[in-house]
Amino acid sequence: MSQAMIRVRNLTKRYQRGGETLTVLDNLNLEMEEGRFYALMGPSGSGKTTLLNLIGGLDSPDSGELLVAGEDLAQLEGSDLAAWRGANVGFVFQGFNLIPVLTARENVELPLKLTPLSRSQRRAQAETALKLVGLGDRMDHRPRQLSGGQEQRVAIARAIATDPKVILADEPTGDLDRKSAEQVLDLLGRLNREFKKTILMVTHDPHAAERAQSIVHLDKGQLGRIEHNQPAGAH
Amino acid sequence: MFKLVLRNLSSHPIRSGITAVSVGVALFLVCVLTSIVTTLQSGLAAASSTRLVVMSSISLFVDIPLSYQEKIARVDGIANVVKWQWFGGYYKSQDNFFGQFAVDPERMFEVYPEVKVDEETKRKFLTQRNACIVGWQLAAEFPEWQQTGKIPITGALFPHPSGQAWDFELAGVYRSEAANFDNRTMFFRWDLFEETLKGAGQDPGVGVYVMSVEPGADIESMRAQIEGMFENGPATVRCDTESEFTRQFVSMLGDIPMFLGWIGAGVLVAILLGAINAMLMAGREQTHDIGILKALGFDDTTAFGVLITQSLVLCLTGGALGIALAMSLEQPIALAIGSAFPGFFIQSSTYIGAGVASLVVGLAAGAIPAWNALRANCVEALRAKGA
Repeated sequence: MSQAMIRVRNLTKRYQRGGETLTVLDNLNLEMEEGRFYALMGPSGSGKTTLLNLIGGLDSPDSGELLVAGEDLAQLEGSDLAAWRGANVGFVFQGFNLIPVLTARENVELPLKLTPLSRSQRRAQAETALKLVGLGDRMDHRPRQLSGGQEQRVAIARAIATDPKVILADEPTGDLDRKSAEQVLDLLGRLNREFKKTILMVTHDPHAAERAQSIVHLDKGQLGRIEHNQPAGAH
Repeated sequence: MFKLVLRNLSSHPIRSGITAVSVGVALFLVCVLTSIVTTLQSGLAAASSTRLVVMSSISLFVDIPLSYQEKIARVDGIANVVKWQWFGGYYKSQDNFFGQFAVDPERMFEVYPEVKVDEETKRKFLTQRNACIVGWQLAAEFPEWQQTGKIPITGALFPHPSGQAWDFELAGVYRSEAANFDNRTMFFRWDLFEETLKGAGQDPGVGVYVMSVEPGADIESMRAQIEGMFENGPATVRCDTESEFTRQFVSMLGDIPMFLGWIGAGVLVAILLGAINAMLMAGREQTHDIGILKALGFDDTTAFGVLITQSLVLCLTGGALGIALAMSLEQPIALAIGSAFPGFFIQSSTYIGAGVASLVVGLAAGAIPAWNALRANCVEALRAKGA
C-alpha cells in the first residue's frame, strides 16, 4: 500500500454569504495515496472546488487537519504557504488561466522563476515541458493565438514544469471540445502513469472520470462513495 | 517579472502612451514654471548690494533731471555714475519687443564689470556715435544684424525728429555671466540720444542713475545723503541698493511667482489623478493575472511589486520625456520669453526635482492598485474577469 499524499481529517470550511453561513465542507475525512489518479465528482455546490483549493493551499480551512505532501497546511501561511504551493502543487484550471501577455514558453517558465535555476536552465525546462505536451512548435505563441485545447496543454506544461508532487485539475476539460478533452485526459493519464504524479481532478463529466483510478463522490460537503476502477484509455 | 511589467504596459499602448506623455508634458510645464520663478529669484540673488540705484521717488516711470549726475558723482564714496534711459522702441514690428537703453558708454563698462565685450566691440562703442551693443541672446534672435551691421529702431517713446527710424550700427555683442544682467538687451550711446532730441527742441531726462561705490564706503549714509540732496530739488529721488531696487521691480510683478507655483502644483495634482486613474484600470484588469501569480507560488509582495513597478516605469518614462523636452527646448523658451523673464534658464536642481516628482507620482499612482494586489485573495482574484 502506498503512503497517503493527501490526508484530510474533520475538515470544515464555511463561507459567509449575505449574512448567512454556508457550510461547504462539513467534517470531511479523506485519504489519497501517492501516485494515484483521483476524480472528484458531485453536484454543483457539493464542495469539490473548495476542497481542491484547500488541498492546493489557495484557501484555508476553518477547522480540521489537512496534510498534503507531508506538510500540515494549517501551519503555513503567507509567503511560506505560497512557496510550498510553488514547489509541491501544479494547477490546471477550467479557464486555463494563462497570462495573456506572455508567450507559451514564458507562461511555462513563470513558476520556474521561484526555483534556483538559471535563465538558460529555466528556458530548457520550459521547452521540455512544452514538447512533452506536444507544443514544441507553439512555444512563441501567445494564448490568444492558440486553440482552447492547446491553451490547456500549455497550462499542463506549466503545472508540471516545477516537477510538483501533486497536480490539481479543476474541470480541465470543461471548456474543451471532445477531441481536445481526450488529448488533455490522455496527458493527465500519462503524467500519472509515467511520472507517478498524484492527480486530483474535479469533473462533472463521467467520461472524464473514467480515466481516473478512483472516483471520489462529494455531496453537500460530505464524503459519498469512493469507486475504484481500471482507468479507461490506460495503456 | 520586469518582462511581465513591460508586456502589461505594451498590451495597452494607447493608454500607456497617453499616460506617459501626460506625465511628460506636465513635468515639462513644471520645469518651465519653476524655472521662471527661480530665474526671477536668481536675478534678485545676483543683484549687487554694493551698487546704488537712484530713481524718482514717485515712480520708475518718472524721469529725473540730467543735472543730478554731477551732484551724485561728488558724493564721497561714489566711484562712478552711469545714467540709463528706457527708449521703448521696436525693430521693424512692435512684436519684436526687447529692451533698449541709452547709457554712458565708458561708464557703463566701469559700473558693470560683469558685462564682457571684446576689444574691437568696445573700441567701436566708445568711438562711434551711433554704435550700439546687444546681448548674445538678442543677437541670436536677429542674425541679420550681424550680417548687415545695421539696426533700425523705431522710437515709440522718442520718435526720431526726421520721422524715420533711429539708425544704429552694431558695434558687437556683449555677454553677461551674472543673472541680474540679461543678455537680451540693446545699449546705445547717451550722447547720440541727447543731441538728437535736443536738436528737435526736446530735453530728455534720465530714467535711473546707477552708481558703483568705493570699497568700504558707508552705503547707508550715502543713500541718506543722496536722497537728502534733492529733497528741495525739481524731482525728489529715492536711493536703493541694486538688490533692493531689483526686489522692488520684481514685486511690481505682483504675486506672479506664487501664482506660477500654484499652477505648477495644480498641474502635478491633475497628472497624479490621471496616473492614478490609469493604474486603477490596469490593476483591475490584471486582478486575474495576480491570482494566477499567487496560485503559482508567488507571494503577496511580488504581486505588489508588479503593479508598483508598472506605475513607476510609466511615470519615470514620462518624467524622462518631460526632462528631455525641457532640456531640448530650454534655449527656444529662453528666447521666446526672454523679454519678460531675462536670463531664463533651467537649473539642474529643477531637473532633479522633476525626476523626484515623477518618482513620487509613480509611487502614489501605483500605491492603491499595488496594495489591492497585495491584499487580493487568490481564489477571488482567479474568479475576476481578465483583461
